[in-house]
This record gives sequence, structure tokens and C-alpha cells, in this order.
Amino acid sequence: MRRISSIALNTFRETIRQKLMYLVLIYIGILLFSVFVLSPLSVGAAKGKIIIDVGLAGISLFGVLTVIVAGSSLVHKEIEKKAIYSIVTRPVSRAEFILGKFSGIVFAMAPLMLSMVVVMAVMVLIGRGEVTVTVLLAAYLSMLEMVVMSAVVIFFSTFTSPILTSFFSLCFFVAGSLSGDLTVFANRFGGNSMKYFTKGFYYMLPNLKIFNLRHEAVHDLRFNSSDIGMTTLYALIYCAVILYFANLLFSRKEFS
Amino acid sequence: MEALNVERVKKSFRSDMMFSSKEILHGVSFSAREGEILGFLGPNGAGKTTTIKIILGLLRQDHGSVTIFDRPAGEKRSMSRIGYLPENPFYYPHLSLKEFLEFCGRLSGISNKKLDARCEEIISLVGLDRNKKQKIKSFSKGMLQRTGLAQAILHDPDLLILDEPFSGLDPGGRKTVRDIILELRNNGKTIFFSSHILPDMEALCDRTVIINNGAITKSIGLDEIFRIGENRIEITARGCSSKTLDDLRDYLERVDNKDEETFLFVKKQEYIRTVIQHIYNSGGEILKVANEHPSLEETFMNLVNGEKASAEKASEKSNSENEMKKEEVS
Ligand SMILES: Nc1ncnc2c1ncn2[C@@H]1O[C@H](COP(=O)(O)OP(=O)(O)OP(=O)(O)O)[C@@H](O)[C@H]1O
Ligand SMILES: [Mg+2]
Repeated sequence: MRRISSIALNTFRETIRQKLMYLVLIYIGILLFSVFVLSPLSVGAAKGKIIIDVGLAGISLFGVLTVIVAGSSLVHKEIEKKAIYSIVTRPVSRAEFILGKFSGIVFAMAPLMLSMVVVMAVMVLIGRGEVTVTVLLAAYLSMLEMVVMSAVVIFFSTFTSPILTSFFSLCFFVAGSLSGDLTVFANRFGGNSMKYFTKGFYYMLPNLKIFNLRHEAVHDLRFNSSDIGMTTLYALIYCAVILYFANLLFSRKEFS
Repeated sequence: MEALNVERVKKSFRSDMMFSSKEILHGVSFSAREGEILGFLGPNGAGKTTTIKIILGLLRQDHGSVTIFDRPAGEKRSMSRIGYLPENPFYYPHLSLKEFLEFCGRLSGISNKKLDARCEEIISLVGLDRNKKQKIKSFSKGMLQRTGLAQAILHDPDLLILDEPFSGLDPGGRKTVRDIILELRNNGKTIFFSSHILPDMEALCDRTVIINNGAITKSIGLDEIFRIGENRIEITARGCSSKTLDDLRDYLERVDNKDEETFLFVKKQEYIRTVIQHIYNSGGEILKVANEHPSLEETFMNLVNGEKASAEKASEKSNSENEMKKEEVS
């Protein structure tokens, strides 16, 4: 446990060094833009909704993109520069290394996303809007989505270059967000083999749709609260499985 | 007990072309006894670093086995007894020296209570007191090398594996490393190190393993080098007549003349007295008697070259044998 946390702390510091907090400033800029440029175009109650709409979408997108950009080179850089020699030649298993890296990224991302949530909440309150429980839950699910994507990034980075890791992770993110539509599409247009292929791909992909509560949050609709628990469980299981495979690949890796 | 045992290790690397691969290590075997300093000597590209990486599990061997204190390498228990200095050390640039060592110490399981004191101790041992707060990013090559040594000995390992510990160091740094190595050996640790710097190796090692083209050519102990040295007694004299030299013919390996001086290489230790007396009695003058053993460098070059030469000879021989057979046939 101490070994994992040491690696996590080190990764955390390394990630933080990439000056991610500037992203929060960009985020504030986008929200201000939506307040002053987009809101006047809309009428009535829709005004307050725009901040929530843009704000939640921004949290989700910024979270995932940052994980991909900041995370994809972390493992690779360590192997390339041989810094990993001083870790794996100690009594540290490869699994501990993977878990350390994963938690390091997640812990670096959490404050970033939390500060975006705070910024959004403050802006909503300034606009005399209401920060409902649903809005907070939607933000929570975006963070879970970021955790899942962190695991995906770690998985790819154990065996490919940073550029390919970013690319594959982005593909996973886009396809995972559409995954339901993907099977519909295959059923409608594809032949039999196409169906099996998309089905296989479908089960491998994270189903990111379930992390999206933004529509309900914006319009303050009712939703099934037990879904939140199930989604959390799903995220944990998905991470465990993909990290297991990451470890399987990484354990066979040679460092030359 | 053997601290390190490498048994018939083979390793191939995939070459640039997809399906061909080239064998780099052809069944390397050797072992390091507990408490000795074992040198690992070989020309560039011989396979030293590859062997060391296999011992540490950074590379996987295709064949053969490695044990550390009689347990398979790679087990956590084995790994916690090893300290490793890589060939061109590189460490996290964003950490300071002290932070880096603390990180390593935690991974090696040093308790928080002892960690701080241990790091301070090691930092001053490798002579980097003034740099402990400095970021590793700004370290010079020699400072990195010292950092590498510091992280290798931090957790007080029983087996130290050093890949070219002297590279990039100034004379002071070399002395520091030599002193540390000797001190560790005196405390019962085993040290296995590769180096190109033969005098360092000669001065430190109890034994040396020589690797060439991916195979162990020879393992020599220092005592063996001295035994070779018995044949190398050189007497420098002046005023030896050719008759004197002729009388001594049976005792001498070889005679060289330069200006007025004569260099006589005596065959055996026992003959020295006879030779010297005879030169005196016939009116000669002894200028110097030296008992030189060939340096490791000479032995090394002889081995490397000798291998080439004998390989050439062997192929010549087989060629001529073939020709002879042809002649017989015709
Ligand atoms: N990853 C690799 N892929 C292909 N060939 C490799 C690889 N690593 C090493 N080699 C080859 O293996 C041989 C041995 O290399 P190694 O680094 O073990 O030599 P060395 O004895 O440490 O040399 P030096 O004294 O220069 O450090 C070399 O011919 C090298 O080209
Ligand atoms: Mg080498």
C-alpha cells in the first residue's frame, strides 16, 4: 500500500507540474462567454440553464481531454527515460506500479474537476439560478467518467506510444459515448459479421452514456437514483477489468 | 552460499527486420560468491548490460536461469536484497535529490522513522551534501552517477549490481566509489560490477569474469594473475658478454638488448639467484630486478585477441586439412 501511494504521490506531483490549473481559467472564460454572449439570446428560465448546460458539458469534456493529454505520456516517458529502472528493480510489482500511476492521475485530476464544479456553482448562484442535487450528481458522474478514462489511458500507455495512446483513448471516448447508437447502426446497416464485430467492440468499450446526467440536470427532470449506485459500481468494475489487462501486458514488458 | 548465480542464460533480440532475430548472449554462466567483489569485463557490445538487465528482470531471458541468494530472481524477497546502478542513470527531473531518495527508500520499505536519517547519511557518503535540495534536472553527469550510487546503496542491499560505476566521475568521485565498494565488502556485502577501466577493476576485484561476444571467456582470480606473473621476472643488466648470456641460456625465456642495457626474462623464480650471481661473477652489473605480473589489461587483450587468432588458426588448419585430403584423393 505504501509503495502504491508513493508512486501515486510522485505521479500526482508530476501531473500537477504540467500547469493543469490554467485549464480552470480557460473554463471560466468559456462560462463567461456563455453568460454574456449566449444567454442574452435566450429568454426566461432558459438563461440559467445555459450555464448549467455549458458548465457540465465543459467539466466532462475538459476532464476527459486532460486525462488523455496529461496521462498518455506519463508511463511512456518513464520507460523512455529509464526512470522506471529505479522502481521496478525494487521490491515493487508491476501491478503496484500500474495502480500507483492510475491513482496518481486520478488524484491529480480530482482537484482540477472539483474547482471547475465550484466555479460553475458560483456562476449559477450569481445568476440567481439554483444548484440542484441533480446538477451535483451530474458533476459526480463526470468525475467517474474521468476515472474510467484514466484507466483506459493507462491501459493503452502500457503498450503503445503517447500519440497512439491519445488517439486510441479518444476513439474509446467517442465510441463509448455513442456505444448504444453504434449497435443500432450495425443492426440497421451491417451484415452478420459486422454485427458480431460491433458487438465485440461494444462490450469492450466503456458505456459512457450512463455517466451523462446532464439533460436531467439542465431541465431538472426526475431520474432513478439507484442508477447512480449502479453506475458507480459499473465504473469500479470496468476500471478493475481494464487495469487487470493493463497489468497482464505490462508484466510481460521488457525495458531495453 | 552464492550471492548471484547465472546459469546458461541466452538472449536474442529481434533485429530491424520483422522475423529474424539475433542471439546476443549464448549461454552465459557465472556466479558471485557471498562477500566477494566480482568484476565483469568485456569490450563494447559484449553483452554486459544485457546480462545485468536480465539479472534484474528488466529483460527476460529466452533460456537459462538467475538466482539470487539461492532464490529465483524477480521474487520480491530477492529484489529487496539488490541494489542496482544502471548504465546511464536517469531519474525524475522534477524531484530534488533528497525527495528522490526518500521516494526510493519508501519503495524499498525503509520505515518512515529511519528514512530521513538514512537519506542524509547516504547523501553525505556520496559527497552531494550541498546539492540535496537541488532538482535532479540540473545535475551534471557525475552528480547523476553519484545519485545513482546513492539510490543503489540506500536500503543497505546484500548484493550490489553496478553497471559501469566509474563512468563520468572525476578522480575524487572514483575514489569515493572505490572506497564505498571496499567498505561494503568489508561489511560482508557482495558487489558485482562492470567496467571498462581496467586499473579500477584490477585494484578492486577478487575475481573477474570476462565476457566476449556474448559468451564468458574466462573467470580469473587475482591469485591466478600472480601465478601467471611468476614467469615474468625481468632483470636489467649492463656489461653482459654474449658468452655470459650463452651460459645462461637454459635459465632464460628471452633476452632483449637496448643500447648498453640487457633485459633478461628469467624462466622461473628459483633461477634468479643463479642468473644474478653469474652476471656478477662475469663482471656485469645489475641495474634492476622487477617481478611484474601482466596487468589485467594485457590478459584481457590477449584473451580477446587470442580468441580471434585461435579462431583464425582453426579455420586455416581446417582449410589446409581439406587441401591435404584433396591431395590424397588425387
Ligand atoms: N534492445 C536491443 N535490441 C537489439 N539489440 C540490442 C538491444 N540491446 C542490446 N543489443 C545488442 O546487444 C549487444 C550487447 O549490448 P550490451 O549493451 O549488453 O553491451 P555492453 O557489453 O554493455 O557494451 P558497453 O560496454 O558498450 O556498455 C550489442 O551488440 C547490442 O547492439
Ligand atoms: Mg553496457
